[in-house]
Amino acid sequence: MVSTYNRRGFLKISGIGLASAYLAACSVGGGDSGAAANALKAAFAQPVNDLDPHGPSSVDESTLLAGRLIYDTLIRRDGDKLVPGVATSWEQTDENTWVFQLRDDVTFHDGSKLTAGDVKASLERVKDAGTAQSALWTSVSAVEAETDTTLRITTSEPLGTMPVNLTLMFILPAAKMNEPGFFRKPIGSGPFRVDGFTPSDELRLSAVEHWGGKPKLDRVTLPYIPETSSQITALRTGELSALWPVPPDQLRELEGLDEIRLETIPSYAYYFNWFNCGREPFTDPRVRRAMWRAVDVAGIVKNLFGDGAELMTAPIPSTVFGHAPQEPYRHDPDAAKRELADAGLADGFRTSLMWFSDTGPLADALAQAMISDWAKIGVTVEPQNVEKAEWLRRLNAKEFDMDLQINTVTTGDADFTLGRLYDSDADRMGYRNPELDTILRQAHRDSDRGRREELYSRACKIVWDDAVGMFPAALISTYGLRSTVEGFEPAASNQPDLRGVTLAS
Amino acid sequence: MIIYIARRLAQSVFLVFGAITIVFLVLRVIPGDPASLILGSQATAEELEAKRQELGLGDPLLAQYFRHLGEVLRLDFGESWRLGGDAFANVLERLPATLTLAGYALALTLLIGFPLGVHAARNTGKAVDRLVSYLSLTGQALPSFWVGIMLVLIFSRMLDILPATADGTPLALVLPAFTLALPFLGWLARLVRNGTLEELGKDYVRTARSKGLSERVVFNVHVLRNTLTPVVTVLGLVLGNFIADAVIIEQVFAWPGIGSLMIESIVNRDYAVAEAAILLIAIFYIGLNLAVDVLYFYLDPRITLETV
Repeated sequence: MVSTYNRRGFLKISGIGLASAYLAACSVGGGDSGAAANALKAAFAQPVNDLDPHGPSSVDESTLLAGRLIYDTLIRRDGDKLVPGVATSWEQTDENTWVFQLRDDVTFHDGSKLTAGDVKASLERVKDAGTAQSALWTSVSAVEAETDTTLRITTSEPLGTMPVNLTLMFILPAAKMNEPGFFRKPIGSGPFRVDGFTPSDELRLSAVEHWGGKPKLDRVTLPYIPETSSQITALRTGELSALWPVPPDQLRELEGLDEIRLETIPSYAYYFNWFNCGREPFTDPRVRRAMWRAVDVAGIVKNLFGDGAELMTAPIPSTVFGHAPQEPYRHDPDAAKRELADAGLADGFRTSLMWFSDTGPLADALAQAMISDWAKIGVTVEPQNVEKAEWLRRLNAKEFDMDLQINTVTTGDADFTLGRLYDSDADRMGYRNPELDTILRQAHRDSDRGRREELYSRACKIVWDDAVGMFPAALISTYGLRSTVEGFEPAASNQPDLRGVTLAS
Repeated sequence: MIIYIARRLAQSVFLVFGAITIVFLVLRVIPGDPASLILGSQATAEELEAKRQELGLGDPLLAQYFRHLGEVLRLDFGESWRLGGDAFANVLERLPATLTLAGYALALTLLIGFPLGVHAARNTGKAVDRLVSYLSLTGQALPSFWVGIMLVLIFSRMLDILPATADGTPLALVLPAFTLALPFLGWLARLVRNGTLEELGKDYVRTARSKGLSERVVFNVHVLRNTLTPVVTVLGLVLGNFIADAVIIEQVFAWPGIGSLMIESIVNRDYAVAEAAILLIAIFYIGLNLAVDVLYFYLDPRITLETV
């Protein structure tokens, strides 16, 4: 009978356990009033992993997006113009020296004053961080805070991209930025203060008084929703007020709905398909051009992406400074075959294409479409759809024949991609061209817009005519907005300024 | 009894140790490493090598392994390169959401599956009995990520009565918990049905009936209690499965639990977080198994050390 008693006791305990599980379930979330008036819930397609704007995520669009709301920069981007941020003016006193005048009315969210010392500490921190953004600052040799509002930056070689690079350099409070746990609830001087942050899940912000004017919204919540269909559903049901970028193959789910408005803007992101110019047979530019001519790029971009992308006319998107339109490669399989024959490959050849599915929208479909076009000229391409980490490893080790990927011109300036990828010293895909090196290095040093534009137009022509890669599609970002959202301006960088957004009830 | 528990406990420790070792090895054998993900696609070979040294990835695998074992013993998995801060703290922060989801799914499984099974047993061959068969078959056959997406399409997008993602309200639990519970719901109903039928055919039921007890008393007092015992022990295993299955469900419903955290950390080679999360799930699973084994021993005195 003992066992009966035990069993009964056990059942009681499990009953209590169940009840408490139920209670725990009911208590989740609780009274989050995210739906209150003047609170915007908006989802970007990628998670915000880290709020450290100098850390490993420093050039992730999601971290930059959050950074623009929380922190300030010396210089801001407004469309394709560079406008004053914390710096009111700047001048290049000689080719290696830049002097910035700073506002004296900027305060951090904890009330302390932002001074040139904070800018100095921030710039030194990002330069030494050993992360992707650090590469922009290698030529900075000294940063001096001459007064609280005067900052002098000295470089070891001329850095013409200084102003545009500074649009990525977020200013942190020097006294606090190295405290442990700082980036869980960081303090900046931007228009929004951090209320709460769960990495790669949700960021909650509230508006503060800002030198640029207080935002019209009271609160902003940026959740991350991994599953695309759930993102679309959440926007349609009103759980979300804004969603961007909407994947091209999901656009029709949102078209023709009264309560949803779609706004588009050409972005800084684009697809390229690199040829490993250091590997046979891609050492021969005739072969590379033949590969390009073999693919019906215009047809593929139109059929796959519709309004979600535009056909490229240069090795960088048309939104980027330095873009210069080139002669398109017409789809001509017969000419491609003749060119292959000229290069001694009349019978075609075997090669491979490497990519990872999440590199961008419709990557798998794009790869397959190109591979089937190549088959028509006798080139057998083995598809190598690998995982992201493996793709990165092989890319950095140049272990590929062809590489299809999305690239983003994070600063909106040709230097960020052309200057950093196609220089022989960078050696990203085995292409070496001393003439191009000279042009790119000159453009990197020069700060004159007109001269830089001219240099990049020559660089665009060389990369395009030599077919270092194929440049099929530049993405167009589509922002899905509920009709109640007003004043939301789509940004090419995918980092919209939310200060002017209002919500109609 | 104590010897038995001690022996099972020792086995569990060994299992956890095995899990740590396998996770460590697999994460390092798969190609790609954190250095390349931290530095991105424009890193030079020197930068990569320097970062590897900084992260201690240049050391021999065995040295890394022993260092890792030391870390695990101190429950200090190191910093997450991707999320910043202590990896284990990052995982613990996400644990309540997963436990809530699993708890709610368990409640759903019991509250629906148990009565359904009893009802089927009392109506063998009738509609409800067939429903239980179909439910358990389809519930287990349909992949849960697909079920999740379908439920979102129907209940959120078409009918607009339930939220599609975790929005902080209790209602947001309904779809993910149901998706998680579905494969086990029918399974539990079948288990209860068969168990009840078996009990109904036993001698003590005939005796009870012949004593003149009402059918209600025979069923509720005698039969049900005996049916319940195996069910309760099995629930421990179901809970373990819930925590493991939540990995997929959380992704579909943007549920901020350890499952979604784990997937992202593996994709991004955030070793510290991946190791902490997988180890936590493994410990849960092994712990629940241990608890169930001990319970069997406790609930059924016929099980002796010789028979286990």
